[in-house]
Order: sequence, then structure tokens, then C-alpha cells
Amino acid sequence: MRLLIRIRAAVVNGFRELQANKVRSLLSMSGIILGVASLVAMVTVVQGMVGNFRQFVDAMGGIEKITVEKQALPKEQEHLAELSEGLTMRDVEQIKATIPIVRYVSPEARVGFEKLVCEGREVYTMINGVTPDYLPVAKRWVDPTQGRFISDLDILHKTDVCVLGSSIANDLFPPNVDPLGKVIRVKGKRFTVIGLLNNIEAQGMEVRSAGGKGKGGGGMWRWRNSGVYIPISTATAKFNGNDRLSGLGLQVASGDDLNFAVEQVERTLLQTHNRLKDFSISTNEQTLEDFRKTETAFKLSLGGVAGISLFVGGIGIMNVMLASINERIREIGVRKAVGARGSDLFLQFLSEAAAISVLGGLIGLAVSMGIVWIMNYVLMQAVPTGVVAKFDWVIMLQGLSFSVVVGLVAGVYPAVRAANLDPIEALRHE
Amino acid sequence: MGSLATIRGLRKTYVMGDETVHALAGVDLDFDRGEYVAILGPSGSGKSTLMHILGFMDTPTEGSILFEGEEVAGLGADRRAWYRSHRVGFVFQSFNLLPRLSVLENVALPLLYREDYSESAREEAAKVALERVGMSHRLTHRPTQLSGGERQRVAIARAIVARPAIVFADEPTGNLDVRNVDRILELLGSLLAEGITVVLVTHDLSVAAKAKRVISMRSGQVQEDRRQ
Repeated sequence: MRLLIRIRAAVVNGFRELQANKVRSLLSMSGIILGVASLVAMVTVVQGMVGNFRQFVDAMGGIEKITVEKQALPKEQEHLAELSEGLTMRDVEQIKATIPIVRYVSPEARVGFEKLVCEGREVYTMINGVTPDYLPVAKRWVDPTQGRFISDLDILHKTDVCVLGSSIANDLFPPNVDPLGKVIRVKGKRFTVIGLLNNIEAQGMEVRSAGGKGKGGGGMWRWRNSGVYIPISTATAKFNGNDRLSGLGLQVASGDDLNFAVEQVERTLLQTHNRLKDFSISTNEQTLEDFRKTETAFKLSLGGVAGISLFVGGIGIMNVMLASINERIREIGVRKAVGARGSDLFLQFLSEAAAISVLGGLIGLAVSMGIVWIMNYVLMQAVPTGVVAKFDWVIMLQGLSFSVVVGLVAGVYPAVRAANLDPIEALRHE
Repeated sequence: MGSLATIRGLRKTYVMGDETVHALAGVDLDFDRGEYVAILGPSGSGKSTLMHILGFMDTPTEGSILFEGEEVAGLGADRRAWYRSHRVGFVFQSFNLLPRLSVLENVALPLLYREDYSESAREEAAKVALERVGMSHRLTHRPTQLSGGERQRVAIARAIVARPAIVFADEPTGNLDVRNVDRILELLGSLLAEGITVVLVTHDLSVAAKAKRVISMRSGQVQEDRRQ
């Protein structure tokens, strides 16, 4: 309790000293201000990037997704090409039948980047032939008020229906027109719009709408909101003229089974393809792994920079404290003569260092907010990723405690010197 | 009156390089409560060293000091700090007021290091002490706004605020004009009535003449101990 009272008095006195030497205090704080500002700003921005990427990976189908794509044969097998018919629905059936840990298989038959026409308006976009399993694998859905997705019956009857991405719907129809039931033309064929895919937005982050469109999402999410989806059987029979698929999307029951599933899929496909490796298998895991490495590298290098600035800030505080003690040797002598113990002076000077670092830390936090704000603004202008960093009070609290620790460590040596001054010598000091 | 301090065989030796300096070379003295004593001597005579040791700022190399009945010659730094904040007051030639603190805060400073004074009690005691020296009209002034005589009166208030048993005044009139010298010495003399022992440390005969007892020092020893 007594110690608390002493500390309180010392802290009050510390802030008073700061006030008495405003310019000097501000200068000594500058290192801490820069250190805290860069630390908090950088960690916040990196954190924002990480969050952004997590959502990106999720939008690509998440960590449980396996992508199979057709691939040219290696040179030495080129002459065998006719032995394999490439990716077909037979592969889909085979995988479904033999690999139970693969929950969904979504075959895709790309028609290509084509012109869509509707009542005089034109839009170019990717036309994809898909099955109902496209939705769970791509983690998409059709809101009940926005119609329905392609069904097994559509596949069976090769119907001429289509589902639009939300940005395509926006580009093709005026805002007051309901796209459902409308007929669009692709390569001279007529398709009835039966549904709209859900609009993908970056959750928890601001989305900047590209081209001033209200809906449809912007930036890197935009491609996810474009595209036209038709029954896969319609695509192969009426456009492509063969059964070949352009790729498969697979969803594994759990991300833990991913590597095992990849092995199984490869084995099965080699079997159906007469041992020809005319396909490639990829997962999002590699992408995520690469990103994790980048994230770690970022954190380490930025942490290093911030650490150095905080270290320099600490030296700045120590320097100013030593200078201040040198100026106030006589004061220290007087205080000792009237009864101050070494520990009283130790506390007094440590509190001054702490006061400098707390105040510097708080100013640093304010500066970091400014830096993040500017970086968000610049990022928005340069790359409309639509994603900005958000402030996290945990990071800010960490930044502040860092600065206090630095201040205390830097204050110890000067405070010890003040505490150990001989009162008689100190009083003689001119 | 009663005895305040009894000093026997006090020695203080400094080693400076190869040379050994005997600042105090065996001093025996007795101080009573409420005494007005001057310690007179040229610089290097040991009078300052004696003041520092008796004022708990320094420790002797050898010898015994019985202060208020307790042996205090070998006390550690914190214990000596306790004596300085409870039983001793200092008045310096150059006043040594802290320029950033107000008159009231300067006077209350010694109580800041005592745990038995609350903030309001410190302020109250400081006001009483300033009243005692006739400076209660300047509570919020800074020391730099005061004349030399006024500053020394504030310094005396600071020396007596903790109700000490002994006040040391080290050349208290050295920086004052003639008119103020008498007033300060008179003020110091008036403290005797409260049972405070006042020790003037000076090389000035005319200042020492105000005291009731003059101890002359030379080469670390008491040359003469005369009551007048």
C-alpha cells in the first residue's frame, strides 16, 4: 500500500517533469512514437492481408478442394495420346464409386469466353457446363428468391437453361428488370435464365464496387461473380461436340484426408486413362502454404524493423534521462538531503521514463491509425482489391505494452545512477 | 535541556590516490537540545565533514555518535535517510530551493518522503512553517520570484517543517546582503525556543558571534570550545 502511494506520487511527478520540458520530452519520445506506430501499423496491415487471403482461399473452394485439370502428355508419351480419351464423365463415376472420402465431384465442361446477347445488350463472359455438385464444391448457392440452380433433370434432358453470376445479371439487365425467365442468346442458341448465383462479398471488409455498380462485388471478387452456368450435358452435346471435360472439382470430407484423397484420385485416374498422365491434380493447400511462408517472412521482417525502432526509441529515452539527471544533480542532492532514499529517486526517474514511453506509445498509436488509414486509401486507389486492414485493440494494446517495457528497461540504468548519487557530492555540483 | 548528541573519538579518513586525508582526526563533542552553536573554521578544517556526519549525510570512519540515546555511527543509507527526514534540517548558503516547485511545494518536500503525512497534512505543515518564517504571503510563487532574504526564509521553513531536533545552517548568510544577514540569524536564533538545536557552520567570525557557543576547528580537530 505504501509502495503504491509512493509509485503514484512518482508517476504524478513524472508527468509534471514532462510538462516542464515539452520539447525535450517530445524529442525523446520520437523514437518510441515511430517504433509503436510502425509496429502497430504493419502488424495491422499484415493481419488484414492474412484475413483477406483466408477468404480468398475459401472462395476458391476452401482447403478441402482438389482440382483436376487436363494436361498435355509428356513428350515421350505423345504418340500414345489416343489410348486415353481424357477426362470424361466415366472418371466422375469411377471416383464416386471407389473413393468414399471424396464427398462431391463437380465436372466442368468449359464452352469458352462467349458473347451473351439479351434485348440489344451484350456481355462477354465464360460459359461453363456444370452439374448440381458445382454448388457444394465451389461453396456457392442460389438464394430461393433468386430462382434455382441446374438440376439432375436439366442434365438428363440437356435443357437450354442457364444460371447467371450476379455481376453478369447486373451488366445484362437494367436494375428494375427481373432476369428470371428472360431469354438470352449464346452463339445463336437461346437459353432461359432460371437462377442467379449468390453474390460473393469479402466478409467483414469494405467492398469497393468496380465501375460504380452497386451490386456484383468489386476487384478480386468480381471474377467470382461473373460467368454463366449451363447443364454439362447441354455444353458437351450442343457446343463442344465431344464428351471431354475441362476439369473436375472434388470436395473431400475433411482437410485432414486431403493427401490421401489426392493419392487415391491419381491412382483411379491413371487406371481409367490407361496409365497416361494427361491430367494434373492441385490443391489449395500449396497456395495456402506459400502464403503462410510469405506471412511469416513479412511478420519477421516488419517485426525486425519495428523492433529496431523501439530499440532506438529506448536508447533515446535513456539518453534524455541521463542528460536530465546530469542537469538535475543538485536537485537530487537536495531531495536526498531532506530525506529521500535511493529507492525514492529510483522510482522518481523510472516513472519519468515510463511517463515518456506511455505518452510516446499513445501518440504512436494515433500515428499508426493515420498510417493505416493512408495505406488503405492508397491501396484502394492502386489496386481495387476491395479489402482494407481493420484495427484490432489487441494489437494496439500489445504495441503500447511494448513501448512501456522499452521505457522501463531504458529507464533503469539512469534511475540507478540517480539513486546511487552521493548527496554531498550532488549538493556541491555546480 | 538534556543531551541531544554525544560524539566520541570521531574520525573520517579519505584516501585520495596515494594520499590519506584526515578530515576529522578524533573529535569529542556534546550537543544539548535547544543549543545555539557555531562551528567556526577555515575551509579544510573539517567543519563541513563534521556537519555532514552529524547531519546523517555521511558516515564516520571511526568513533561513536549517540544521537537521542541511540548509537547512529554505523547506520545504513536508508536509516540515515529516515533520520534526515525526521530529525534533521538543512539550510544552505545557496538556498537550494527547487526552481520548478512553488514555495509551498518546496517547503513540503521533506514530508513527501515520509509515509506519516498525507497530501493535505503536508500542505498544512508547510503553511505553518511558512507562517513561522513570515512567508505565508508567497505560497504560490516560484523561488526565482523571491529576493535572497526571502529565499533563505523559505529554506529555513523547509528545514523546520518536519519538526527536527537539529538544524544545520551551512554559511546561511553567505549570499545575503547586510540588511538580511541579521534578520536570518535572528530567525535561526528564534528556533531555540522550540527546543531545536541550531548549528551554524561558518568561517565568518561576526556570524559565529551570534551563537551562544563557538567551536573552533582546525586540521580536523577541535581547537577551542567556548561558551559566550
